[in-house]
Order: sequence, then structure tokens, then C-alpha cells
Amino acid sequence: MLEGQLFMSDKKIIFENVKKTYGDLIVLDDFNFLVDPNESVAIIGPSGSGKTTILRLLMTLEKMQEGLVYIDDEPINMMKVNDKLVPVSNSYIRRIRSKIGMVFQNFNLFPHMTALQNCIESPVHTKGLSKTQAIDESKKILDSVGLSDKYDNYPSQLSGGQQQRVAIARALAMRPEILLFDEPTSSLDPEMIGEVLNVIRDLIKSKKYTVLLATHQMGFAKEVSDRVCFFNDGNIIEEGKPEKIFNNPKNERLKKFLSKILEAS
Amino acid sequence: MDWDWELTLEVVIPRLLEATWVTVYVTVISFLLSLVGGLIFMILKTSKNRLISIIATEFIEIIRSTPLLIQIFFIFFGLPRFGITLPPVTSGIIAFSLYNSTLCAEVYRAGLLAIPKGQWEACTALNLSFVRSFFRIIFPQSLVPIVPALGNFLVGIFKETPILSFVAVAEIMHVAKLIGYEYYEFTEAITTVGIFFIILSLISAKLINVIENYVRRTVIHE
Repeated sequence: MLEGQLFMSDKKIIFENVKKTYGDLIVLDDFNFLVDPNESVAIIGPSGSGKTTILRLLMTLEKMQEGLVYIDDEPINMMKVNDKLVPVSNSYIRRIRSKIGMVFQNFNLFPHMTALQNCIESPVHTKGLSKTQAIDESKKILDSVGLSDKYDNYPSQLSGGQQQRVAIARALAMRPEILLFDEPTSSLDPEMIGEVLNVIRDLIKSKKYTVLLATHQMGFAKEVSDRVCFFNDGNIIEEGKPEKIFNNPKNERLKKFLSKILEAS
Repeated sequence: MDWDWELTLEVVIPRLLEATWVTVYVTVISFLLSLVGGLIFMILKTSKNRLISIIATEFIEIIRSTPLLIQIFFIFFGLPRFGITLPPVTSGIIAFSLYNSTLCAEVYRAGLLAIPKGQWEACTALNLSFVRSFFRIIFPQSLVPIVPALGNFLVGIFKETPILSFVAVAEIMHVAKLIGYEYYEFTEAITTVGIFFIILSLISAKLINVIENYVRRTVIHE
């Protein structure tokens, strides 16, 4: 076993009895969830159902009140010291974080840096890459998301779709093992959604990453994911292969949710 | 009304020009100290140590709720009784710096709060250290709201310097009063002081404007 591992499983991500509250509001209660290596899981469900919360917990942007979350069988919210679980140290959590890349709904690009500078900031600082090396690598990644002519553009000079593709490139430049997409197309104009979905589709199809995708794009979720999880009130109330979830839903609330989404589109 | 041009050109303007250096000197030094002091006050006030944060908050409150003139008098006339005797200019600079530091602290805090939370989250997601996040990502962006507000302080300190005439600092207002007493003629001297202040304010406003545009260009590329 590696240092920090509590056991050996074949799972990439494990949520174990997780409880998360914001004040009086209980978002997750006794939540359990497993993800295989290189699996792509689409997370669907109404707003406020906890989809975003599990991504934010994984990215360590939020603290949970109870339970443990593991990546590669190492807990991310506690660490093992002398066989006891204690609060994580800074270096421990940063080692865990280096495995995860996250793409936000609102891009969150750094406005004072060019596309290329956005991409190399983390590799140079956290992976010890030389600047030339990082520039080289980031240019290739920007090329792969179709932005070979936008290296030196600032976010304000790019369209929403282009900004989100820079954000994806920036996450990829960290060489992550896990990619988290938090409603990546929800703040885009309709005509730009396609270009971003194409990039995400390629990433999922490459089978190089474990992907969690919170989305309202049902067609896309159905097409690319290995598994779809339907969230409601902080719990996965139905999950399975995309065909099963979309063509033959069992749960009443899922049926209602899908019919409403279909009506809207 | 007849304006005494001879007095204006041969006495008032030369002596005021000389005194302008004192005004500029006091203003610039106080301004620079306020920039640093503001940062220190902000850090102390937001300290996780409750005692430090309470002491800083109360101190800021005391400074802000007493007139600047009283603070200057206290430093100049009051401190000697505690064995601290300071020259007038130094007393003035200390008072100006303290007063404006407390205001700067608030400007810094507001500037940092104006940065969207998502920027900090992106830093976490990219695994950047706190120090790196602050100095490379957050601080440069916060300059956009902070710089114009700091510009107002610079102009504000300029306009407050006549207060120092109460402790006989030879800044322009004080010199203008002296000229008035010497020649029994206040109109020329006082009016010219007013014009001097307009010019000084315009120059500092222009300077701040240049810096502001530079920051905007380099930070948010407008």
C-alpha cells in the first residue's frame, strides 16, 4: 500500500457516509458514491440537488461535516498519522489536489493573463516545469482544443466558448487524473455550447481521465457517459447506463424531471 | 478693488513656491506611509488572533472618530509630557499617516473583497499556494478598484495640509498668513494659496489618472 492509503480498492473515487450542510440546510446526508478509474459519470438533477456540491467537495473547495472522501484509497479530508485520522496538512492536501482538474460554470479565468499564461501558471509553480517546457506543453493543449491562434489573447478578448476551452486547457495543463466539469455549458450562449461539448467529448473518449460531469445537457450526457446518476435532495435516487436512465426510467421523480427537460427543449 | 501685482509677483509667489516643497514633502511622505500603514492595519484587523483584531479595530475607531487637528495637537503638545518631543513637521506626518492608514485599510479590504470568489477557487483548483495566489492572481486584480480610491487620498492629504499651520509648519498656508501679517494684506496671499492648491490637485489627479489607466490596461485590458 502507498503512504496514506487506508485500504486497497479498485475505485478511483469513494464517498463514504458524507454529510454536508450549509447552516441549517442539509445538502448531503449519509451519502455514498463510487467511481471507477477512467469512468465517466454524468450527474443530472434539478438545481440545488447537490450535484455541484460533490464536485466542490472533491476539489476541496468545501469542507464536509461528516464522512470521508477517498481518491486512490487515500482520504482527502483527513490524513493518517500513526494509524489515526487527523486534519490534513497543507502539503498533503496539495498532493491530492494535483490529481484533479476542475472546469467551472463561470470559467474563472485570470483576466490579467493571456490564454497561454493562464495555462502555464500552475505547471510552472506546482509541477516544477521550466517555463519553456510549460509553454511548449500548453501550446499543444491549446492547439488540441482548437485555440492555436489565441495564445496571446486575454479572456476579455475571447468569446464565452473560447474562454471555456481555455479553462479546459488550463485544467489539462496540470496533467490531472480526474476531471470535474461543473455545468460547463450553463453560462454559454446556445451557439457556443457545441464547440465546448466537442472538446469534452474528445477528452472522455480518450479514456485517459476519470470524469465527473454535472450537466443539464441530457443529450450529451446520454451520448458520452458510462453511467448517469440522477440526484435529488442530496441523494442519487436512480443510476445506471445512459440508455436505461433515459429510455426506461423507473423512479417517478426522474420521469418527471426528464419530461420537464424534454418539454423545455 | 485693486490687486497688488507687485506684492503678488515679488513676495507672494516666490515665498509660496518655496513653501510648496514643504506641502508636497509632507503630503508625499504621509501618503507613502499611509499605503504601508493601511496594509498593516488591514492585516492586524483581519488577524485570526481575536485580541489583536479587537485592539486594531478599536484603535482604528478612535483615530477615525477624533478630529485630525486634535490628533496633531496631541502629538505635538501632548506627547512631550510623556517624554516624546517631536518637531512640528514630524508630528504632522505622523498624524496624517495614522489617519489615512485607517482609511487605506478599509480601501484595501474593499478592493480585495471585490475580487470574485471564483478567482480564489480557481487558484485552489490549480493547486497554487496561498502566497502565489495572493500576489500573482488576487492582488493585481484588486489594484483596479484600489488605485482610484487611493488617488482621492493623495488629493485629500494635500487639502488637509493647511491644518499644519496651527503648529507652525512652514507650509504654504502658514507662509501666506505670515505674508498677510507682514504686509497687512491678506487677499493676494490667501487667493494665491487657493490657486496653488487647485494646481497641485490637478497635477495629482492627472498623475493618478495616468497610473489608473496603466493599471487598467495591464490588468484588465480595456
